[in-house]
Amino acid sequence: MPGGSSRREFLGGGLTLPALAVAPLGAGGVRYRTLGRTGLKVSTVGFGCMITSDASVIQRAADMGINHFDTARIYRGGNNERMVGAALKGCRQSVYIASKTQARTRQRALEDLDASLRELGTDYLDVWHLHDRTSAAELTDELLDAQQTAKKQGKIRFAGVSTHSKAEVIRAAVASGRIDVVLTAYNFVMDQGLEPVLEAAHKAGLGVVAMKVMAGGYRNTPYYPTPPGAKARLQREGALLAALKWSIRDPWVHTSIPSMVDVEQLEENFRAMSSPFTEADGQLLAAHLELIRPLYCRMCGSCTGTCPQGLPVADVLRYLTYADGYGQFALGREKFLALPEEARQVRCRECASCAVRCPNGVRVAERLTRAQEWFA
Amino acid sequence: MKWFLWLAAATVAAQTPDCRLVPGWTQQGPARTYVADNLFEYINGNAEGYLIYRFVEMHGVTCRSGSDTIVFDVSEMADPEFAYGIFSATRDPKLPIEKIGMAAQIHPRKGVLVKDKYYIELAVNQEKDLSAVLRAFLVAMDRRIPGRTTLPEALGWFPAEKLVADSVRLVPESVLGLRLLRRGYIAQYDYGKAFVVPEDSPEAAAQVMVKLRARIGETTPAKLADEAFLASDRYLGRLCFFRQGRYLGGYAGLPQGQDAVAPASALAARIP
Repeated sequence: MPGGSSRREFLGGGLTLPALAVAPLGAGGVRYRTLGRTGLKVSTVGFGCMITSDASVIQRAADMGINHFDTARIYRGGNNERMVGAALKGCRQSVYIASKTQARTRQRALEDLDASLRELGTDYLDVWHLHDRTSAAELTDELLDAQQTAKKQGKIRFAGVSTHSKAEVIRAAVASGRIDVVLTAYNFVMDQGLEPVLEAAHKAGLGVVAMKVMAGGYRNTPYYPTPPGAKARLQREGALLAALKWSIRDPWVHTSIPSMVDVEQLEENFRAMSSPFTEADGQLLAAHLELIRPLYCRMCGSCTGTCPQGLPVADVLRYLTYADGYGQFALGREKFLALPEEARQVRCRECASCAVRCPNGVRVAERLTRAQEWFA
Repeated sequence: MKWFLWLAAATVAAQTPDCRLVPGWTQQGPARTYVADNLFEYINGNAEGYLIYRFVEMHGVTCRSGSDTIVFDVSEMADPEFAYGIFSATRDPKLPIEKIGMAAQIHPRKGVLVKDKYYIELAVNQEKDLSAVLRAFLVAMDRRIPGRTTLPEALGWFPAEKLVADSVRLVPESVLGLRLLRRGYIAQYDYGKAFVVPEDSPEAAAQVMVKLRARIGETTPAKLADEAFLASDRYLGRLCFFRQGRYLGGYAGLPQGQDAVAPASALAARIP
């Protein structure tokens, strides 16, 4: 954390936000923010439609005032877009629909866009994302041009990119000058280094949308590996709501897209807009973090290249998590044995002291030694 | 014991993708293995779509023949119902379902098959119609994987009249968007949608009916099955829910003037 403050302070940070940063609460308990330079007034809790099975939940959300709905060409083989379109056809003018393409060529991307419009039953998308980009190199001129073409044709209003928290991609989106919105994984267990990147994107005028906001807590679907005990803790009463409130507490996150399958989830998530992130919420999340801190690699990458023996530290920590976190020893060992020979031969016990320092408190040397003893 | 281990090894081998199943194809690069907790490393952006169907494990390879490559993945789900569930949710409604294994669909560049608890996906990397090759792979996998080839029994319970063809699908969580209806099958009709949700026992199902009445509010008793009610909901439309033994079922989204009791009675009569 810049400035050296603790993670507990970080979690409590939302409590000290200036009043100006808090978006006004609209009628019916909905809080809206402006999605960067798009000017769209989006509800701070949006709707991730990927695993929603019934259109009635989406219709109810729209009636409640939630107005940002997220889908993608690949969700359920295209069937998800069809369901979302059917659900929102009666209120298309009062909601914003975002979809995504995984295409890597201009032609395929524009074909995907036409398919999205057809399945959604609409003439335009409010935001069209390049889906799941993992490096700056994946924001090619060809694809950025395809988005501009689609804009000129009136098929999309704004161009976006989605990434699973890759700061490099977000910085590249800002630098491109052609991306209006970034959609990124963002939750309280993640690398704190993402915060200033999102703030910079916000200041540059980009809209910022957060996904994976529950940190995988709801139905055993982690974005990052999380020990089973920690999942149970996150599933405690109020913890998921706290996680959602945490993700939208900062003014540079304009909306979020938690997945919702039923009315009960919708009603709980909706409450995140009307109740502020409290000290009790912070304590709940901090307790969760304390539990996983010594074990849990957040994949921030700050250890990359710091081992004098050339060990890929984050990778080995992840493989160990497969084995001792989830009981998938064979998988962890398979991955370990796929490392280059020189990495497999490293024995951390032979170093007098460990040069790798984890900024998040993982006991690196201890964990690496355990992995070497188990797998090698 | 040895016999058991041999059988276990043979079962693992059967569900492992193998490029040599079709002459002229060879494996390119290493095999892939993913479990629920790292599936996002492979299909980030859509992993939840698998996990909600109780995804257990995926084995994958990339196959090559000349300049053509096919991504060949076999996902193991918790049981055959969930394997059919992900197939039913992701299938292309514009294409027919073929009787290979439990069910299959073959596109020019994509093939999917469900057999027992395995969901098999083939994807062609090039802009090329390789449907004949895809079919050969799927047929070979059907022969190779032992186990169930029959569709879930519940598919046969929905009355055929005005049923949208091949529309029955497994909803893995919260049927009709109601958490009380934990998991079940839903079918699209010309005039609304029908559902069947199994509970553990008649008593458990009866308790859910009590909670459903409380949740929905104003209901009117109806005479069908073990118990039933009629109601109207802003989002679910006119509806008729019933309990038949340990099963909950009914219709929702019915238009005004449509008889709700008759189709619900027909559905209840088909549930064993």
